[in-house]
Amino acid sequence: MAIPVALEQAIDWEIGEHQIGLWQDAWQRFRRNRLAVLGAALVLLLVLIAFISPLLVHFGLIIDPLKQQVEQIEVGPGIAGHPLGTDELGRDTLSRLMYGSRISLSVGILVQGIILPIGLAIGLAAGYFGGRIDNLLMRFTDIWYAFPDLIFVLVLVSVFGPSLLSIFGAIALVNWVGLARLVRGQVLSIKEKEFIEAARSSGSAPLKLIVKHLLPNSLGPIIVTLTFGIPQAIFLEAVLSFLGVGIQPPTPTWGQMVFDGYEAIYANPTSVVFPALAIGFTLLAFSFIGDGLRDALDPRMRR
Amino acid sequence: MRLSTRIRAVALASAGLFLAAACGGGGGTTNSNMAPPDKQILRANDGTEPNSYDPTQQTYSYEAAVGRNVFEALLKPNAELTDVKPAAASKYDVSSDGLTYTFHLRTNAKWSDGKPVKASDWVYGYQHLLNPALAAGYVDPFFDGTIKGAENYGSIDVTSASAIDAFIAGLGLKAVDDNTFEIKLQHPAAYFKWVVTLWMAAPIRKDVVEAAAGGSFTSSDTTKPLAWANDAKTIIGNGPFKISEIVSKDHVTMVPNPGYWGGAPHLQQIIYYFIADGNTAYSKYQTGALDIIGVPTADITVVRGDPVLSKQAHLYPQLTTFWMSFNSTKAPFDKAAVRMAFAKSIDRIKLTKDVRHDTDQPIQSFIPKGMAGYDTSDNAQAYDPAAAKKLLSDAGVTASQLNSFKLLTRNTTGSKTVNQFIVDQWNTNLGLNIQLDVIDSKTVTSRIRKGQFDIYGPDGWGADYPDQQDWFDIFTSGACHSLNWGCATIPGYDDLVKKANTELDQTQRNKDYLTAHKMLIDNAVVAFMYQAYEYDLVAPYVNITQTSFDDQNLPGDQNWQTAYITNH
Amino acid sequence: MAVTAGRPNRGALLPSRVSALTGSRAGSLTIFIVRRVLWMVPIVFFVILITFFLMHLAPGSPWDKDAGRQLSQVVVNNLNAKYGLNKPEYQQFLIYLWNAIHFDFGLSYQYSGKSVIKLIAEGWPYTATIGVLAFLLIVPVGVGLGVLAALRQNSRIDYITMGFATFAASFPNFVIGALMVVVFSVLMAKWTQRAFFLPAADFGLDDHLIMPVITLSLLPIAYTARLTRASTLDTIRQDYIRTAWAKGLSERLVVIRHILKNSLIPVVTTLGPTFAFLVTGSIIVETVFNIPGIGRAFVTAVSSRDYPMILGTTILFSVIIAIANLVVDVLYVFIDPRVRLT
Repeated sequence: MAIPVALEQAIDWEIGEHQIGLWQDAWQRFRRNRLAVLGAALVLLLVLIAFISPLLVHFGLIIDPLKQQVEQIEVGPGIAGHPLGTDELGRDTLSRLMYGSRISLSVGILVQGIILPIGLAIGLAAGYFGGRIDNLLMRFTDIWYAFPDLIFVLVLVSVFGPSLLSIFGAIALVNWVGLARLVRGQVLSIKEKEFIEAARSSGSAPLKLIVKHLLPNSLGPIIVTLTFGIPQAIFLEAVLSFLGVGIQPPTPTWGQMVFDGYEAIYANPTSVVFPALAIGFTLLAFSFIGDGLRDALDPRMRR
Repeated sequence: MRLSTRIRAVALASAGLFLAAACGGGGGTTNSNMAPPDKQILRANDGTEPNSYDPTQQTYSYEAAVGRNVFEALLKPNAELTDVKPAAASKYDVSSDGLTYTFHLRTNAKWSDGKPVKASDWVYGYQHLLNPALAAGYVDPFFDGTIKGAENYGSIDVTSASAIDAFIAGLGLKAVDDNTFEIKLQHPAAYFKWVVTLWMAAPIRKDVVEAAAGGSFTSSDTTKPLAWANDAKTIIGNGPFKISEIVSKDHVTMVPNPGYWGGAPHLQQIIYYFIADGNTAYSKYQTGALDIIGVPTADITVVRGDPVLSKQAHLYPQLTTFWMSFNSTKAPFDKAAVRMAFAKSIDRIKLTKDVRHDTDQPIQSFIPKGMAGYDTSDNAQAYDPAAAKKLLSDAGVTASQLNSFKLLTRNTTGSKTVNQFIVDQWNTNLGLNIQLDVIDSKTVTSRIRKGQFDIYGPDGWGADYPDQQDWFDIFTSGACHSLNWGCATIPGYDDLVKKANTELDQTQRNKDYLTAHKMLIDNAVVAFMYQAYEYDLVAPYVNITQTSFDDQNLPGDQNWQTAYITNH
Repeated sequence: MAVTAGRPNRGALLPSRVSALTGSRAGSLTIFIVRRVLWMVPIVFFVILITFFLMHLAPGSPWDKDAGRQLSQVVVNNLNAKYGLNKPEYQQFLIYLWNAIHFDFGLSYQYSGKSVIKLIAEGWPYTATIGVLAFLLIVPVGVGLGVLAALRQNSRIDYITMGFATFAASFPNFVIGALMVVVFSVLMAKWTQRAFFLPAADFGLDDHLIMPVITLSLLPIAYTARLTRASTLDTIRQDYIRTAWAKGLSERLVVIRHILKNSLIPVVTTLGPTFAFLVTGSIIVETVFNIPGIGRAFVTAVSSRDYPMILGTTILFSVIIAIANLVVDVLYVFIDPRVRLT
């Protein structure tokens, strides 16, 4: 009978001869995962582009992303010195993509950074404490789900003004609920497993246990939610700017480029495809990292 | 988060596209290639669903596109837009003092349920329009300086049925006999003949309204008097067509009104869809599911370059002008020279040829081409960046005073694209660094109504009727916060316009309006940019025999009774 | 009502699975459901409260038009009087609550004379049809792909799933929808001289459904697949899986019995709200394919400041999401038998 590959990898064939720390171990495994390293390299590349694109513009190596050339509206890739074509005002798509990485990467990543602690905290609290606290917190999330996000955002911005902070805040506040419920579900299914009972009876503080066992055993879905949240946040930024809460044109962002490119889908399909590909690259890179991270942190994964 | 390219407007008679009209349809020109009746179906994209099917409550072009076909006004504009011609009224008289209008109704006019149209129906219709409790959207032309007794429309207590009753009873509307309808005015108004051509000025059947409301109701009731318009079966109209089916958010279907005095149309069905997304409408057209659409801006070059589609696309001029508004209460925009500098730094040719894809036409004046008052002699706002810079420096205005200003922009693709170009022009030509402020459309409106903006645009106006009164009233100081967003005041302008509005001699009126026209341009009250032209795709088997400026939303939609489908 | 963990109060040697339907469990399940349904009342109340005051805080009034002619102040005053907007806010709120209890949710501002209930009732069948069909597609395809990818980690199927998921997430669904229309409607109509092509838009209980349903399902399938994969991988590595394997059960038994049931918790957690979102419609799919459903209603209500419609659609959604989350919590019990209700 064939052993499924996944099981074979999961089975602890060898007993390590020496103990090394969890994090060192994790790091070593991460490094050996080719895809994870590739993902990390891609992310570093994107971050590098984000940092140096103003310099490139300054030194004339790429066209100014704000420069309009209305004689060259919506040209295709490779025409008139524009490697990826132009947009609805004749601005170079490649430089707009490079420039746009600054905002879009920040939005995509930082927003997850805000969602993570909120979702984790609430999900953990609800799942661990259970009872009345779980009920109240979950009913609170029910209300939050039903919230008309658009109005909330409109009001938020009319009160706090369209700054970068209100954008991050708005996106994060609108999207933490899914993560919280996910974490809660994970905690619930972990809570009554035998090794928890066993550890509890041996005197370890239950909360620390939940966290220590939660991390390696059920991080997977959490990581997936966070990585999928990145393109979601990027598009939400575009939606917000549509409501006037956000990055004002002409500053390019990937999300807005996709939205604007949609209108020109018959005239110049690449104007929507290229920014979407950029977003796709980012998602792919973080997915590789996420997978690698989870594999690295799993104590049962031995190679 | 809507991604719609909404196509607006008011279309215009275009000399090149105008063929001999077959008045009243039916017995007019026939074509041997005409499709059989079961194929005489026209499917067009109206863009947005009407808020109401009660013609008195309709305010916008996409609503009038339906209302005009189901109801008919007393008069309508003639093809050259120089005067009015008979419609539901076969003729009209004006008393020598200009205060009494007598309309002689057609004796063979019938409602869609077969009953004859009486003068009392007209009285009821106008009263319905002027009932303040119903809050009709575009009722201003009927009380503001026109119909007698209606001056106090704005101050009636809408919760008091007796107050409303008294107001309505005091209106200058009378059914002299079954076929004669008389309107009295507050003071002479040469343009009133145009006001009665509006789609809101329709007759309404009192018995139909009351039946649908389940009996009689008080005049302060805000919902019962409108119930009849919610069901296709109870929408009884006097126009060439009647509504056979309403599918909310999807489409409305119209079929011929057998009682219409002008004879039977060729078209047996007109279906208006409410497709907001330009790409969707364009796709449907290309698969043969729609016959008439407005070409989305982004696809104009594609259509022009396509050998098949380019032959089906036509350019229709509209009586619509667009401009940028400056907040004249905010220094340094209180100086005309500064506003003029901005007006002179816009390259209108690039804007229309490139950014607008060579559809709209540049204009530096107010009244659009196609109606009386169109005049291009004053070039004060012509593109001249060097002169513009000089104006700024002569006025002693520096970049730092202007760089904090923002251009308030609605969150539609069209506005964003045009404004990014315009801001780029100002920044490049005047050495400034003005930013855009793209905001949700409602918020923009609420801000301009309060005067909370620096610069706003693209703003504009489409003619309701081809009389200059409809235009020049926009910039009176009384219209501050309601149309004259920038609240500009020019000494002498208000009085001049008032004089022209009430003057009965047309030649004198034209002279006065021309003077006012120059005032607007020279003071750079706003920066005029372009006249709108609609670029529409019309399927080759659709024959529109007459287009008119009146066309609300689609070419030829004021004269569907003469249109027909050929075999295909 | 909380779902808490607890060990069955019998000896540890007894099998840990307890049928969810025997004896006291059925009773406590019913009580649980009833109590959650009762909780919907305060939830809806708070939703109405917060929505009501938020929407009045949002700048812009329903009478500020988007473009073109603005209504004169006289007309605005009359309209405010007509719809009761000139009363103080707390009064409007109480009036609304009172009417809501009698199931009168007011008239929409966007459609003269049409009640909110009528508008929602008219639009919902279209939305629900597409939403339910999409859900029926998402569950088997998403879960199936995810399990497959997990069992064959780092194989070709795994990479294909990952690639597909990335594509679906980086192209927003209006782009995918539009691209599909370009290829399967317009281009196909061109190439086959209008003989074979999918309709570009509109609703119909025929091939009109194909593209909207697919467009709506792509991202949820991608997310569900990745989520299932991650959760399955986590489960596979658990000790008891290794134990079951060591006992010599056939692979199929191991997979179905243990892995599937134990990795479904996170999947079910997200499928619940997904269903709620699907069935209340997607504005994007409805706009691109011109479907007269209520998906658009949510967003157009906000952008038009159509207060009754905003409240109506929000209440509807809050009820649906509460029900969906209730179903999810009940399913937890069935999936993981050791979970107990209190």
